[in-house]
Amino acid sequence: MAKGLSASLEDYLEAILTLTEGEGAAHVKRIAERLEVTMPSVTGALQSLAERRLVNYRPYGAVTLTGRGRKVAKRVSVRHDLLNRFFEEVLGLGAESAEENACRIEHVMDDDALERLASYVEFSETCPLKICTWHGGFGRFCEGEPGGKGCEERLQELVARLRPQETGERKVKELTLDRIKPGQKARILRVSAASGATSQRMSDMGVTRGTVVEVKRVAPLGDPIEVKLKGYHLSLRKEEARGITVELQGEPD
Amino acid sequence: MVVSQNRLTIALAGNPNSGKTTVFNALTGARQHVGNYPGVTVERKEGYRRFGDYQLTVVDLPGTYSLTAHSVDELVARNFIVDERPDVVVQVVDASNLERNLYLGTQIMELKVPLVLAFNMSDVADSRGYRFDYERLSALLGAPIVPTVGHKGVGIDDLLRAVVEVASSERPLHEELVHYGRDIEAEINRLGGFLEDEQGLDKYPPRWVAIKLLEGDEEIREKVRRSAVKADRILAGAQAAIGRLQKLYVDPPAVVIAEARYGFISGACEEAVRISTVEARHDMSDRIDTVLTNRALGLPIFLVLMWLVFQLTFTLGAPPMGWIEAFFGWLSELVAGVLPEGYVRSLLADGIIAGVGGVLVFLPNILLLFLAIAFLEDSGYMARAAFIMDRIMHKIGLHGKSFIPLLIGFGCTIPAVMATRMLENRRDRIVTILVSPLMSCGARLPVYVLLSGAFFGPAVAGNVIFSLYILGIVLAVLMGKLFRRYLLPGPSTPFVMELPPYRLPTARGLLIHMWQRGWFYLKKAGTIILAMSVVMWALSTFPRRKELEGQYASRIEAAADEEEVAHLEGELAQKQLELSFAGRIGKGLAHVLKPVGLGEWKIGTALFAGFGAKEIVVSTLGTLYSLGESEGESEALRGALKEDLSPLKAYVFMVFVLIYVPCVASVAVIKRETNSWRWPLFAIGYTTVLAWVVSLVIYQGGVLLGLA
Repeated sequence: MAKGLSASLEDYLEAILTLTEGEGAAHVKRIAERLEVTMPSVTGALQSLAERRLVNYRPYGAVTLTGRGRKVAKRVSVRHDLLNRFFEEVLGLGAESAEENACRIEHVMDDDALERLASYVEFSETCPLKICTWHGGFGRFCEGEPGGKGCEERLQELVARLRPQETGERKVKELTLDRIKPGQKARILRVSAASGATSQRMSDMGVTRGTVVEVKRVAPLGDPIEVKLKGYHLSLRKEEARGITVELQGEPD
Repeated sequence: MVVSQNRLTIALAGNPNSGKTTVFNALTGARQHVGNYPGVTVERKEGYRRFGDYQLTVVDLPGTYSLTAHSVDELVARNFIVDERPDVVVQVVDASNLERNLYLGTQIMELKVPLVLAFNMSDVADSRGYRFDYERLSALLGAPIVPTVGHKGVGIDDLLRAVVEVASSERPLHEELVHYGRDIEAEINRLGGFLEDEQGLDKYPPRWVAIKLLEGDEEIREKVRRSAVKADRILAGAQAAIGRLQKLYVDPPAVVIAEARYGFISGACEEAVRISTVEARHDMSDRIDTVLTNRALGLPIFLVLMWLVFQLTFTLGAPPMGWIEAFFGWLSELVAGVLPEGYVRSLLADGIIAGVGGVLVFLPNILLLFLAIAFLEDSGYMARAAFIMDRIMHKIGLHGKSFIPLLIGFGCTIPAVMATRMLENRRDRIVTILVSPLMSCGARLPVYVLLSGAFFGPAVAGNVIFSLYILGIVLAVLMGKLFRRYLLPGPSTPFVMELPPYRLPTARGLLIHMWQRGWFYLKKAGTIILAMSVVMWALSTFPRRKELEGQYASRIEAAADEEEVAHLEGELAQKQLELSFAGRIGKGLAHVLKPVGLGEWKIGTALFAGFGAKEIVVSTLGTLYSLGESEGESEALRGALKEDLSPLKAYVFMVFVLIYVPCVASVAVIKRETNSWRWPLFAIGYTTVLAWVVSLVIYQGGVLLGLA
């Protein structure tokens, strides 16, 4: 954060960045419109910024950011976004109110607190459990629902939602067994079946999570397929194989 | 435990393809008894054996992978263990495929019966490089282990010694072999608490019932509903527990429980089994499969093999069939020559002897067919055949294995119906049985040959006959779909099927299998066929007009030459048949058949007589039309037929013969195989209606097109 930069100068930098990215160039007139100030105020601010070597400014020409200016502007804009999201997503404020408050608070909070808050937003978004936002649970709490109620239920929901993501997190490509080519090996991630009887039958035959299967061949008429697992050979229709989610286990040798 | 009079009952359990049958044969030799489990068509084999001071009864349970309520075989197996409490259960385990085999073992153990594990095919496992620490594995599994090689009889005495020892030991039984994890165990204990003082369920170990309830086992739920005092509480508790577990694990508890069993087994194997070399035999099996189930070659090879089975059954079966027919023809004439003229002679010669002949004549076909089927099954090819054909059969709503019975149906419906035994699912089996009579059998061919020869030129006659075969297949497909959708609806059987490694079948196994089928046919179906043949004989013999016979006797005596005698005898036979019950029924049928163009009483009578056997249509037509010259191919008969029929009517007649009622013997076999009169009666009903409707459409369509 550039030291000694006033709140409004930060706003100018941010505006110039947005305009150059959005419209290709930032003219004094557009900056004035955007910040709802008069053109002379803009000129004054630009001179001040040029002195600090944050912008390149010649009268009547387009304004551009210097390398350093761009860096500062970016930071301001990122912080602004984060705050905005904190108000909107974590605290559950409306979009407009979130934007207004973000604009106001980004200049008043000190750097450390702002940094922390920004990190918190970032953390709450990357946390796979979304534990911090509780999927709107906090918003409901604010609307008068007592705390803790339905938490267990939501936790179950989250766990369920999370299961399939587990593997996604590890950047594993999920496929269904019917799409595995003969000669390839795959590890079973999930099994779902059309009926209880089919599901039971598959479990009984050892088609269970974690088992490695090797697709041996496809029947002459294209269905069913033959796979090898637990040291024996099993045939499955493609419609049954479609219910088995797997991850590929490396290329055949 | 004191065993009363040193008698022990041993139940033999095991996976399909684990070599259970070879162990059973090695244990009991030829002293076997084949029957059915009450109420179902699952075969029950029992054998006997003396060992030391013990008299052993060995019951061969159906081969299963598990003990769920989803399959009849599995139900039968577990109910036997629960209801008849065998002294010891011996599980035959394919030692070269340990994990999946032991899955069944963990479930048997939960039924709280003493268990001995026979590690069969231990030679194969050896050659595949498996080294078992038997002592360690036995301790982990809580059951003695005996290595055996069934087809060589190796280890059988050790197995018997272990059985006797286990039966007489007081060793506590491992019931809690598999620990299902904290959450599931908590639910098992909670449910087990509910079950504790339920008198009605005291046959079942509470832990086992609790596990089954968590698995959602329908049969156990039903048992609880009927016999438990606190049924509502137990079932509600089970439902709540399933809900809780499902929330926790997402997957239904049944799946989690299966995973835990496999987890336990793989842990045990890790500790006590080592693999040292490459899997030699599986590689060979794999190599065979690269040819036999090859994408290009698989289907042609399958068709050639089916052609061979068909040829073996019917071409090789033809000479012995001829001998049997000739023998009974000779015997019938012999009796006719010895006994004085009258009902007794007629009953013996035309009723009983012809009836017994009619039963035995199918025996060569049945023995040969089942020899072939046993070879296909024991070698492991049958599973491949299903693998290859499933795509097509699944479209009709049937299982890949249904193809073989239907193919056999082109030879004869009787072995076809019997061959449906290899279908595990009852719905698949009944639908296959119901449509198999639509496959045009060999006995219908003489009728086609006679009629198409008489009404169509040699150039088209072949095509006419071919069209009938195609019509039969089309109808079978349509009816199969219809039955599967409306009559026996339900999800199609999963095709989660083992493809066992190829093996060379043993001659002994094949012969025992073949003999058991043949015997079953003679004993069970033979009696019905015989009884029905006698009824058919009586219907076409009675009532008799004495005055008619007297009248003709004097005319025959006065006849000038042999030709006239033959003519008069034929005329007498025709008149007698006309006046018999069969003739009257034929006249009644003629009214019904008028709309389809077959309103002639002679045809009605021939069709009725064809219920006895389809080829009888020809000989009856001979009696009714050609006056003494009953040879089916005779010119006179063809000429006479042309007076009553047009080509269109002749075609409709053949269509009717193709579709209408299965013959008496088929009906008897359907009754035996389905264990009820419901399905044979349904088969008679639907084929007759179908025959009438299809004939009507063809006839009226033909008339509209001006073909009449």
